[in-house]
Amino acid sequence: MVKVDIRQLNVWLKGNHVLKDITLTTKENAVTAIMGPSGCGKTTLLRAINRMNEIIAGCRTTGELYINGRNIYDGETNVYELRRSVGMVFQKPNPLPKSIFENVAFGVKIHKMANGESLASIVERSLKEVALWEEVKERLNDSAFSLSGGQQQRLCIARALAVNPEIILLDEPCSALDPIATAKIEALMRKLAEKYTVIIVTHNVQQAARVSDYVAFLYLGELVEYGPTKHVFENPQSKLTERYLTGEFG
Amino acid sequence: MSKVREKVLFAFLGIPTAICLGVFFWLASVLLSGFGTIKWNLLTASVLNGGYLEMIVGSAYLLLGAAGIASPVGVLAAIYLVEYAPRGRLTRVIDQAINNLAGVPSIVIGLFGYTFFCRQLGLGISLAAGWFTLSLMMIPIVIRGTEEAVRMVPNAFKEAALALGASKWRTVRSITAPSAAPGIITSILLGIARVAGETAAILFTSCVLVTRGLPKSPFEPVMALAFNLFVKIVALGESPDKVFGIAFILFLMVISLAAAATAFRIYYRRRQPWLK
Repeated sequence: MVKVDIRQLNVWLKGNHVLKDITLTTKENAVTAIMGPSGCGKTTLLRAINRMNEIIAGCRTTGELYINGRNIYDGETNVYELRRSVGMVFQKPNPLPKSIFENVAFGVKIHKMANGESLASIVERSLKEVALWEEVKERLNDSAFSLSGGQQQRLCIARALAVNPEIILLDEPCSALDPIATAKIEALMRKLAEKYTVIIVTHNVQQAARVSDYVAFLYLGELVEYGPTKHVFENPQSKLTERYLTGEFG
Repeated sequence: MSKVREKVLFAFLGIPTAICLGVFFWLASVLLSGFGTIKWNLLTASVLNGGYLEMIVGSAYLLLGAAGIASPVGVLAAIYLVEYAPRGRLTRVIDQAINNLAGVPSIVIGLFGYTFFCRQLGLGISLAAGWFTLSLMMIPIVIRGTEEAVRMVPNAFKEAALALGASKWRTVRSITAPSAAPGIITSILLGIARVAGETAAILFTSCVLVTRGLPKSPFEPVMALAFNLFVKIVALGESPDKVFGIAFILFLMVISLAAAATAFRIYYRRRQPWLK
């Protein structure tokens, strides 16, 4: 089923035309990777899906972006509710300056979804989903900064899962991590796709090949190619995609 | 040749250092003589019995009240300027106005306080008029310090909260403000230290030479250390060594406030790894 349906999306940041007429649809319960060289607009496209571009002054967006058939740019969408249902994980792990428990509980608290016992069980469930529970259950009140980088990133994923999202956006989630932590996050992404719609930005071609079901190739703000990962990698339609995949530029 | 020139230049650079050291030792000797004249039981004795109680408590009242006004105003203004106000000509004008306010001579602030708070608003020579006047001097310091503290909060924290669906105000309240709190408190302490020794601003707004006991309401005048020091020397012509005790207490107060601010900052820097 179609989850995110993007039509003629254009984004300008401080006068730069960053995304040009992007049209693509992503499937439910699949991992969609957005790849491309630095500065091609991958992150901007990802942040258009939860309207995080808006927090930058001088950002203008035109076009339509439907989630579950509703245009989130129709002027009536509640952006706070949108961001609850579209979770985001950032390039650098960014735990809040709070305890491990409070990091996961933060979103639940601001949306007043639970408290007391049920809050604790949501925190436990979320930490189990990212396979972090066993590592931290004895020290939930320690600062989140006491965790390693990979653990911090899984904590950030747990924080996004705690508020019952439908879509998870990951912006190069492994670029600040070592290979072992990266492998864990990649395995996690595959698992998350069973329950959520996962969209990941990466500049790492191998990573896109390993984790994604669909892949989009962006170049200079334009969508060059989009399709099932297997097709795109084995039989790229565009010369540019082929050159990118073979590492001629990147 | 050039080596000789360099040596001469360095020698000249040493002169200011020597002057600073000289001043420091002179101040230290002044303080030590103050230390000698102070009788510790006088700290809690009424001025009517030759003590300092009303001056010390009066000064504390003035500072706490002024901080009580300047802190919320300054902190909220700074958060607004950093987090909400759109950058533009107006905010540049406001920035400049804040700098100018910080640079206004205290005697001018005092005169403004007298005409506006004491006369116009009818507060008379009172504790309340002193609070408002002193808060005018504290506000720019609190705003500048808070602005800096708020800017130091990593963007990543704010993005994390916003991406979870927190409103901007919620993000400010539960993430930005608590993370900036140590810096904010430091700036308030520095603001208090800045006006702790202030004389001109309270000279004709809130102080009298002697009161019977402590003020019973904010609309009564108070005694203050700095004011007493000034009046005793200038108006009453007492010899400086007679007022060393007051000077010493005042000095201790200002120094300990500044030291508290520094200690506080160092302590919290260690607990905020993201500031490194």
